[in-house]
Amino acid sequence: MFVLAMRSIRQRPGRFLATLLSAFLGATIIMTFNSLHDTAAGHGVDAVSRETLTTSASVVGGYGTLLVFFAVASTLTVNVRQRAAELELLRSSGATPAQLKRMVVGEAVAVALVGAVLAIGPAMLGGRWLLDMFQDSGQVSGSVEYSFGTVALMSGVDITLIAAAGAAFLAVRRATLRREPRGRARTFLAWAALAVGAVSVTSTFAFSATDPALMAAPAYGAILLSVGFALLSPRLLKVVLDRLPLSGAAGWLAARNLRERAGQLAGILTSLVLFTAVASATLTMQAVESDAVSASGLRKSVADKNLETLNLTVVGIIVVFVCVMLVNSLYAATTYRTREFGQQRLAGATPGQVLGVVGAEGLLLTVVGVVFGTVAALAGVVPFTVVRTDGVLPDQWLGIWLAVVAVAAAVTLGTSLATARRVLRAPAVGAVAVAA
Amino acid sequence: MFRTGSRRNHDKGPAAEALRLVKVSKTYGSDDGAVAALDGVTLGLARGTFTAVMGPSGSGKSTLLQCAAGLDQPDSGIVQVDGTELTGGGEAELTKFRRGRIGFVFQQYNLLETLTVAQNTVLPLKLAGRRVDRRRAREVLEQVGLGDRLSHRPAQLSGGQRQRVAIARALVTEPRVIFADEPTGALDTRSARDVLRLLREAVQVHGRTVVMVTHDPVAASYADSVLFLADGRLVGQLDAPTADAVAERLAHLGDDVTVGV
Repeated sequence: MFVLAMRSIRQRPGRFLATLLSAFLGATIIMTFNSLHDTAAGHGVDAVSRETLTTSASVVGGYGTLLVFFAVASTLTVNVRQRAAELELLRSSGATPAQLKRMVVGEAVAVALVGAVLAIGPAMLGGRWLLDMFQDSGQVSGSVEYSFGTVALMSGVDITLIAAAGAAFLAVRRATLRREPRGRARTFLAWAALAVGAVSVTSTFAFSATDPALMAAPAYGAILLSVGFALLSPRLLKVVLDRLPLSGAAGWLAARNLRERAGQLAGILTSLVLFTAVASATLTMQAVESDAVSASGLRKSVADKNLETLNLTVVGIIVVFVCVMLVNSLYAATTYRTREFGQQRLAGATPGQVLGVVGAEGLLLTVVGVVFGTVAALAGVVPFTVVRTDGVLPDQWLGIWLAVVAVAAAVTLGTSLATARRVLRAPAVGAVAVAA
Repeated sequence: MFRTGSRRNHDKGPAAEALRLVKVSKTYGSDDGAVAALDGVTLGLARGTFTAVMGPSGSGKSTLLQCAAGLDQPDSGIVQVDGTELTGGGEAELTKFRRGRIGFVFQQYNLLETLTVAQNTVLPLKLAGRRVDRRRAREVLEQVGLGDRLSHRPAQLSGGQRQRVAIARALVTEPRVIFADEPTGALDTRSARDVLRLLREAVQVHGRTVVMVTHDPVAASYADSVLFLADGRLVGQLDAPTADAVAERLAHLGDDVTVGV
C-alpha cells in the first residue's frame, strides 16, 4: 500500500498541492516561533528578552499546531472526498479498509514531510525577522544571537507529521464508514462552546480597565462563541434559508442547492465564521487597547508591545490559513459539481444563469458566515470597549469590519465564480458524461 | 435574479417540417487524426413523426443528435428546427434557441438530485423565465404515471420512473421537437416499454415530433420510421419498422456501404 501511496503522489502531484501548502505554511509558522525557544536558550540572554521570546513561542506555537491540524484535516477531507471513485475502485479490487487507511495516511505523511523540509529555509528567515523586530522595538536586547536548533526542527517536523497522519486517519475513516457524523456530540459541543464563550465574555466586566489580562476574557469568549456558531452553522444556514424570500430561477436554485448541501458546506461556513469573528474581534480590541494606552500618555511597556505583536501575528496566520482552506474547499466543491452544472445547462440554463446560481450561493454563504461571525465578534468587542473606554462600539470597528468582510466575500465569491467559469468551458453534454 | 421579464414570443406557428438538416458535416480532431463524424447529412422530418436513428457505434448517431438539437455546432451545413435556422453564436444564444423549441431525454436522465420530481419538471420553465403552471405540470406528471410521486427526489425513484420524469420535463415546455438519446439504454425491458409508449403518445396525442437515437431494434420498432447511419452518412430508411426487419437491416449495414447507397 505504501508503494501505491507513493505512486499516486507521483502521478497526480496537483491533487496534493493544497495539503502540501497547508503543511508547508504550518511547519513554517511552528518552526519560526519555536526557533525563538532555541534563541532564548542561547548564552547571555537576559530575563526580559527570554520572557518575550518564550511567551511568543508558546502562544503562537500552540495556535500554529491547532491550525496545522485543522488546515491539513480540511484539505485531506476534500482530497479523500474527491477520490471517492478511486477509493471505491480499490475497495472493489480487494483493498481492505485498513489498507486504504494506510495508503491515505502514507500519502499524507509523505506530503507533510516534504512540506516540513521545504519550510526549514523560510522558517529561518522568518525567525530572524521576528528577532529583528523584537530587537528594534526594544523587547529583546540587541546582543541576542539568532539560533535555529533542535527545538525548532523537531517540533516543526513532528507536529506537522503527527497532524497530517491524524487528519488523514480521521478523513479516511469518515469516508469509509459512510456514516453521518454524530450529530448529538456536535450539538453538545456547540452549545458547550456557546455557554463557556458567553460566560467568558460576561466575565470581562469583572476586570478593571487597566488590568493587563483584560483582553483575554473577551477575546477567548469571542473565539469560543464563533466555534459554537461554526458547529451549528449548517442548521443556522437552513433557518436563514427558510426565512429568505428568493425570486428568480437563480435564487430559487441557489436556495434549494444550499439546503440540500448544508452538511457538506459546514467546512466552508466554519471557516467564514471563524475568520470573521477572530479577525474583526482581535484587530478591533488591539486598536482600542493601543489608543487607550497612547491616550493615557503612557509609553507602551514591553508587555503591551508583545501583546500587540502576538495579536497581529495570530490574526495574520489565521487569515492565511483560512484563505487556503476556503479556496481549497470551494474549488473542490465547485469542481465536484461539473455534472450538476451540465444538467442545469441541458435543462435550459445559460452559462450566465449557472454562474448566477453559483454567485447567489456564494453570497448567501458569505452573508450567513459573516453575520454569525460578527455576532460572536461583537459579543467580545462590546464588553471590552465598555470596560476599557467610555464608549460602547469603538470608532475603529466599522473600518476593520468592512475590511474583514471584503476579504471574506472576495475569497468566497472569487473562488467559486472563477472555478465555475472554468468548469463551464466544457460542453454541457461532455460535462454530463464525465461523471456518468 | 435572471428573470427576463418578457415572455418568449412564440413564432407564428408550427412549420410543416419540424427538423431539417442540409449537408451537415462535423469533423473531430485535425489533420491525420481527423474523423468525419457527420459527412454531408441531409434530411427532413415532418411534424408529428416519431423517427429512430440507428447505426453501429461510431456511426455518428450522437453527433447527429447533438448538432440537430443545438448542443453542438456543425462545421458546415444548415440546421433548421421548426422552420428557424440554428445560427452560430455563444452557448447562451443556443440555449435560448433551444428553450421552448427543443426538449431532451437522455440515457442518464440528467435530473437534478437536489430538486423534487415536481421541481425538476418545471425547471426549464423557471430557467426560461416563463410562468410556471403547477396544475399543468401535475397533469403532465400524472400522464406519465407519477402523480403520486411529486415530492420525491430522483434518488428515491427507479430508473424507469426517473426517465418518465425526464419525459414529463421535456413535455412541459411544449417543444416542437423532442430529442431522445438512448432513452431506454439503462432500463429493464418493462420500464423501457413504458418509456417508449410515452414517447409514442407524445407524438400521437400531443403532436410532438420525436427523434430518438438508439441501438436497440425493439426500441426502434416503436418509431414511424428508422434512419440508418454508418460512417457519418445516411445509408437507408425503413418505414413502419418491425424489430426483426430493423435487426436484419442493421446486420447488413456494412454491405450497403460498400454497394454505395
